[in-house]
Amino acid sequence: MTIGRREFIRGAAVAAGCAGATAAMASTESGASVAAPGVLVDTTLCVGCRACEAACSETNALPAPPADDKVFEQTRNTAQQAFTVVNRTVKADGTARYAKKQCMHCVSPGCASACPVRAMDKSPAGPVTYNAKKCMGCRYCMIACPFDIPKYEYESNTPRVRKCTFCADRQARGLSPACTEVCPSGALTFGKRSELLEVAKTRIYTNPGKYVPHVYGENEAGGTSWLYITDVDLTKLGFRDDVPQKPIPELVSGALGAPPFVMTLWPPLLMGLFAFSKRRDEEKDEAGKETRHG
Amino acid sequence: MASPATATLSPARAFIREKIFLGMDLKDYLKSNLTAFNIVSAIILAVGIPLLVIRFAYGLGATTNLSQTAPWGLWIGFDMMTGIVLAAGGFTIGATVQLFGLHDYHAIERPAILTAFLGYVMAIIGLLADLGRPWNIVMAIFNYGTASALFEVAWCVMCYSTVLFLEFTLPASEWLGLKRWQAIMKKALIALTVLSVMFSTMHQSALGSLFLLAPTKLHPLWYTPFIFIFFFISAIVAGLCMVIVEGALSHRAFQSLVDHHVDMDKLTIGLGKAAAIVMFAYFFLKVQGVIDGHAWGLLLTPYGALFLVEVVGFVLVPSLLFAWGARNRKVKVVRFAGAMGVLGIVLNRLNVSVIAFNWNQPVRYVPSWMEFVVSISLCLIGVIAFRWVVYRMPILREQNARAAH
Amino acid sequence: MSHDFLSIYFAKSLEYVVAVGYLLLFIPFWRYVQGGRPAEVPAGADIRRPAEDFLRVRAPATARPAMAVRPAGATAPRPTAGWFHLPAGYLLHPGHTWARLDADGLVSVGVDDFAAKLVGPGRVDLPALGDRLAQGEPAAEIGHDDRTVPMLAPVDGTVVAVNATASEKPDALEDPYGAGWLFKVKPSHLAADFRQLLADAPARRFLEDAGEEIAMRLSPGLATVLQDGGTPIHGIAQALAGDDWDQLARQYFLT
Repeated sequence: MTIGRREFIRGAAVAAGCAGATAAMASTESGASVAAPGVLVDTTLCVGCRACEAACSETNALPAPPADDKVFEQTRNTAQQAFTVVNRTVKADGTARYAKKQCMHCVSPGCASACPVRAMDKSPAGPVTYNAKKCMGCRYCMIACPFDIPKYEYESNTPRVRKCTFCADRQARGLSPACTEVCPSGALTFGKRSELLEVAKTRIYTNPGKYVPHVYGENEAGGTSWLYITDVDLTKLGFRDDVPQKPIPELVSGALGAPPFVMTLWPPLLMGLFAFSKRRDEEKDEAGKETRHG
Repeated sequence: MASPATATLSPARAFIREKIFLGMDLKDYLKSNLTAFNIVSAIILAVGIPLLVIRFAYGLGATTNLSQTAPWGLWIGFDMMTGIVLAAGGFTIGATVQLFGLHDYHAIERPAILTAFLGYVMAIIGLLADLGRPWNIVMAIFNYGTASALFEVAWCVMCYSTVLFLEFTLPASEWLGLKRWQAIMKKALIALTVLSVMFSTMHQSALGSLFLLAPTKLHPLWYTPFIFIFFFISAIVAGLCMVIVEGALSHRAFQSLVDHHVDMDKLTIGLGKAAAIVMFAYFFLKVQGVIDGHAWGLLLTPYGALFLVEVVGFVLVPSLLFAWGARNRKVKVVRFAGAMGVLGIVLNRLNVSVIAFNWNQPVRYVPSWMEFVVSISLCLIGVIAFRWVVYRMPILREQNARAAH
Repeated sequence: MSHDFLSIYFAKSLEYVVAVGYLLLFIPFWRYVQGGRPAEVPAGADIRRPAEDFLRVRAPATARPAMAVRPAGATAPRPTAGWFHLPAGYLLHPGHTWARLDADGLVSVGVDDFAAKLVGPGRVDLPALGDRLAQGEPAAEIGHDDRTVPMLAPVDGTVVAVNATASEKPDALEDPYGAGWLFKVKPSHLAADFRQLLADAPARRFLEDAGEEIAMRLSPGLATVLQDGGTPIHGIAQALAGDDWDQLARQYFLT
């Protein structure tokens, strides 16, 4: 049977389509989809202009961040009204280094696994989203996050959990997150996480001695969408260094596997115990009757 | 058995007088309630209940000291977690009587189940006070966050509270004379007991599993991948100790209602023996947990001292006291050890959820006075409800079968 | 938690050592806990001990029949255990009358401690000599003021003697088991009748139940035991139910 040109092209297209689809569904080692979004933060390039803070507050209808650079005198945390903050540290030679802090949008998010009502959820497109309509305010996501990101509106009587949204609605429209779009110095690069990981490692390899040889977010919490490379100790910029190097949900999955086994095993075990003790009681009664009549 | 005065009342008013006002008319009943305990309780509740209203009106920030680094405080640590563990007597004694066949303990089965039921109700109220958006608690029924240990806790608590409520309807239906329901519940008791042990196993341990995902936030002396086993075993310990303590207290407070044929001392000694063994094992479990976590070096730190106080002072010491007291039939010693055991489990739950949690944060959480008052108020409501039920329903003794001569 | 690999060996060995140590300690610990003297069972443990009367009659107590039984090896009686007592040898009818088989084959009949205190001192109406009584049928009446309540006969038989003192003196019922006996009966179905009556432990339990019902009515809201008051002059029923005391009493006396 000969294959004509049309069949060949059609066959090739189908094959290519399958390959593409498989590639899209393929996961990296961390379980992230190959097409998952990510941001590479190169702190050596950040100049501390805080345009990202301004863009974020504008996009999310938050109050504008303080314009004064005096804010750098303290290491700040994100807050109910500030989804991202930039912190500063000074190197030994006097140069300042800055780093932007926000939700890391973990590949396997602890907060989403912790939420009993899926108000915190991992969307297939990548961002970890929050839905106040489902939230009951248990604040377990705050317990779960190893980066201490979710913040709570304690002063409200209809409080919400507040954190960076990764501009999920912008991404859905094909745009990049607001902060990455306005960054003037190229410190923030938005793209595919798998590719950005390669870029990060390449920068480290091709600049020996310049960077700390570690991509923060490659394995932290099992891998995060936001990747950091830096030439200073990140703890000086408000980051935690004690984050577990495996996905947070994995810490719980073992214990959570028990309930179905308990539900299966306990009834026969307990009923067996009941039958055994009833039998023992009956034997005691029979023995008692015998001695009385005997 | 209507009192003569009710013979002239309408059936509804006779019912109220007999069943609710204990056979007195309203004036006498109100007068009989003017006791010191009631007056002090009224004062505390007069502050506590408005505080709850303020919390719902103005939010958590107005009434608690919770912060971004302390998302869980006294209401979760005490009202919910301690409340649920101290209510573990329900399934412990239920299993002892119905499944292990030790029918001697039947006399304390009903008070234990009542304590458990009221304990869970109070824990749920405390939870609703703590939740930021409590109206969304029903979301757990429709959204299945099954990756979460808290989902398991929520569902098991819901199911177990239902089981407890059904078990409670047995004395309630005897009180109201609902013979059909009484018969149904009597037949269902074994199944309910099996379910109660099953649900209790799951959620008592799941309350420990809650902390599995915060290894960097819970102090290493308390954090272990086996924390869910520890929580389950300590729930059994709490159940036994709480039944001993609550039995002693209610036999003193409700002396006129108690069935004096029950040898409470013998039951207490028996419970003490069980508690001695379980607490002995639990102590070694905690030791193993520390070794497994390579954390023995931390025993020399201040948190290590707290850990030793909890584990040696309030687990090992009461275990030995139980052993000595049970062997030598010293009931008072057994009761004292029971009180120590209860305190030990309370301390454990507070340590895990509040004191040793986020231990490495610079600013630590201290509960506000309003949180204390609300917690005390909820405890008081539980005690008052317990007393209300005990005076009317056959809890401390079987229904008086006068007609059965 | 990831630890330095080599430290795992020490930790795991320590765990096993502790586990073995625990097992070795567990055996003697178990035996220690389970050992010890078995519970002392006082002789007649199930018998309710008659405790001191909680409500004493105002007048000094006349000699009570010296038959208040205390089982051997009794420990201190509990304060609310039994406000109403029943001497040994007396059988109780559920209507709160008692029967006692005398040496001469006759059965003495009276009302019990509970009935006496419930109604209080007052009038006693006795059956006539020669009256034929049936067990469970009204035989005598006790009461005060203008009203009396009937009391049921505990046995079948013919009335052969009545206690005139009881019907004459208002405080006769202060000693309901002794000087307060009401009448004597020549029994016609002695064995069958006595099988229907309560004795010893069941009788004491019956009285105790009645006492606790009364206690609940008297002080349900208080956690403490009743103060040591005396019997209200006109009996407990009057204190509880006022003018309807007789309705209350009839409930207990089954009349």
